Amino acid sequence: MYAIEAINLRKTYPGGVEAVKRIDFEVSEGEVFGLLGPNGAGKSTTVGMLTTTIAPTAGTARLVGHDVARSPLLARSVSSVVFQEAVVDGSLTGRANLELHARLWGVQPARAKRRMDELVEAMGLSDLIERPVSSYSGGERRRLEIARALCSEPQVLFLDEPTVGLDPRIRHELLDVIAGLRARDDLTILVTTHYLDEAQRLCDRVAIIHEGSLVALDSPKALLAELGHEILEFRVDGSPARALESLRRRRIAGPDAFAIGARVTVPLHSHAVTDVLAAIESEHLRASEITTRVPNLDDVYLQLTGGAFSEAA
Amino acid sequence: MSAIAEPVPVTLPTPRRARPSSALATLARRRAALTASNPRQILVPLIGPALLALVVAPALKVATGGLHSGIDYESFVGVGAVGLVIPLSCIFAGLSVIVDRHSGAQRELLAAPVPRAYLVLGNLAVALVLSALQVIVLIGLSALRGGVFHITADGVAWFAGAALLFTVFMYGVAETLASRIPKQEEYVGAVPAVAILPFFLAGALFPIGAMPGALTAIAKFLPLTHALALMRYAFVDPSGKGLHDIWGMSSVTTEAWLSLAVVALFAAALTAISIRMFSRSAVS
Repeated sequence: MYAIEAINLRKTYPGGVEAVKRIDFEVSEGEVFGLLGPNGAGKSTTVGMLTTTIAPTAGTARLVGHDVARSPLLARSVSSVVFQEAVVDGSLTGRANLELHARLWGVQPARAKRRMDELVEAMGLSDLIERPVSSYSGGERRRLEIARALCSEPQVLFLDEPTVGLDPRIRHELLDVIAGLRARDDLTILVTTHYLDEAQRLCDRVAIIHEGSLVALDSPKALLAELGHEILEFRVDGSPARALESLRRRRIAGPDAFAIGARVTVPLHSHAVTDVLAAIESEHLRASEITTRVPNLDDVYLQLTGGAFSEAA
Repeated sequence: MSAIAEPVPVTLPTPRRARPSSALATLARRRAALTASNPRQILVPLIGPALLALVVAPALKVATGGLHSGIDYESFVGVGAVGLVIPLSCIFAGLSVIVDRHSGAQRELLAAPVPRAYLVLGNLAVALVLSALQVIVLIGLSALRGGVFHITADGVAWFAGAALLFTVFMYGVAETLASRIPKQEEYVGAVPAVAILPFFLAGALFPIGAMPGALTAIAKFLPLTHALALMRYAFVDPSGKGLHDIWGMSSVTTEAWLSLAVVALFAAALTAISIRMFSRSAVS
């Protein structure tokens, strides 16, 4: 049994918009699993189906063995969610928000108090917790929401775009907090993001979702390995598609080379940089800003989706 | 696509759940805390009805000479104003459902391991308490202004039963509208239709028999007409004239039970509809 299972999961909204097209994945206990994709790729719809706020059109989803459609209360009782947007009672204090969650999830009062004290301390909320949440900054509110989600000691934690809209310093602080959750090996985390560096830093495995379908699923390391150790990038004055085609014809670029706008990216694999430069020269490509670098998850995503991600991010 | 890593088996947990009473109490406490942080929600629905009972009723009594039926007009309108304060109070309570939805707070509640009906019932519990307080204040003010009320144990029971069931009905209406109407502006626009119009047709300011025959017939189908007739029977009209205008029977007790049944039926139906509407609107 897995902590999270999605089997042939599909969601078509009224009007025929197919947000999720039969996706399958499993997440093991204690794993941090990233669901990556641009806005509109189907990440939040997938999380919505797993958290029972969106009814699947077809397929099955289970949380720790509990079917989200047939036993939604059991599925919700083993999970918590930190939503993409602010989901707090602003006029209540931070503590009141935590207490509300603990009571609704049936945590015994003494245990809840102990748990809240620990989390408030761990999340650096001690000075704020008696204040109305409406007075919190974005980062403080996010930390409160994570503390709240952990109050009920969930087995599965959903983090839906947890750092979106935060300034870089707060974002990095929050990533530290989330990275700290990895120490709890009984906690399974599904995090959605369109910041690939976050996924690379936090996740054991990532699934890349594009237009409602999973286009890749593996560890960040394995996905990166598919692009080799080095890539060459250049800007082309002219048609990038034609430049790519001519490099492929010369077998310098493989099927994993891609072009986004005027920029062409060529994974080198077994080729030397000089081989590519020679090909550029002999094909009379008007190339500029030629650089080489180590590939990252952005490259994996762009290669798989043809650039939609960079536009969204 | 790369192969999926081998799963590590996990053990099935014993899920922990809140007791139904505890979950309902928690949801009601939340709503009460949010309401207390916004005193306008408590005071504003009371202003219009209070003015009606304290200013308009005495003025109309002087101008028109009252009802000429042995019933004190100030008391008659004092109870009639309850037919305005309960709908307004419930409409305000329903507004907070839209606020919850827009602020996002509703999503956390929807993710909680409690039946979604509890979210409606928790709000209803607070609407009942709030309406009860407003009705007590209203009747108290009316009595201080000179209204004559005959308070007996039986009367209190009839009044409380009618007011409670009518509040349940009105909250059902408000919650249903809040689930169906996406924007606060549109929701507020529905107030005249659901709160003001029935108030004028249900005999709040004059007996329903004083209206044209067609309107009197319509009034008999309004739950507010039955609730007001019951409340007046309880406190100001022991002969049950208002109930007789509806039923035309010889036994006032039978008429009272029938009217209570009508209000109860509307209350049950709207509660069921509101829960269904909320549950459907909460899941896309």
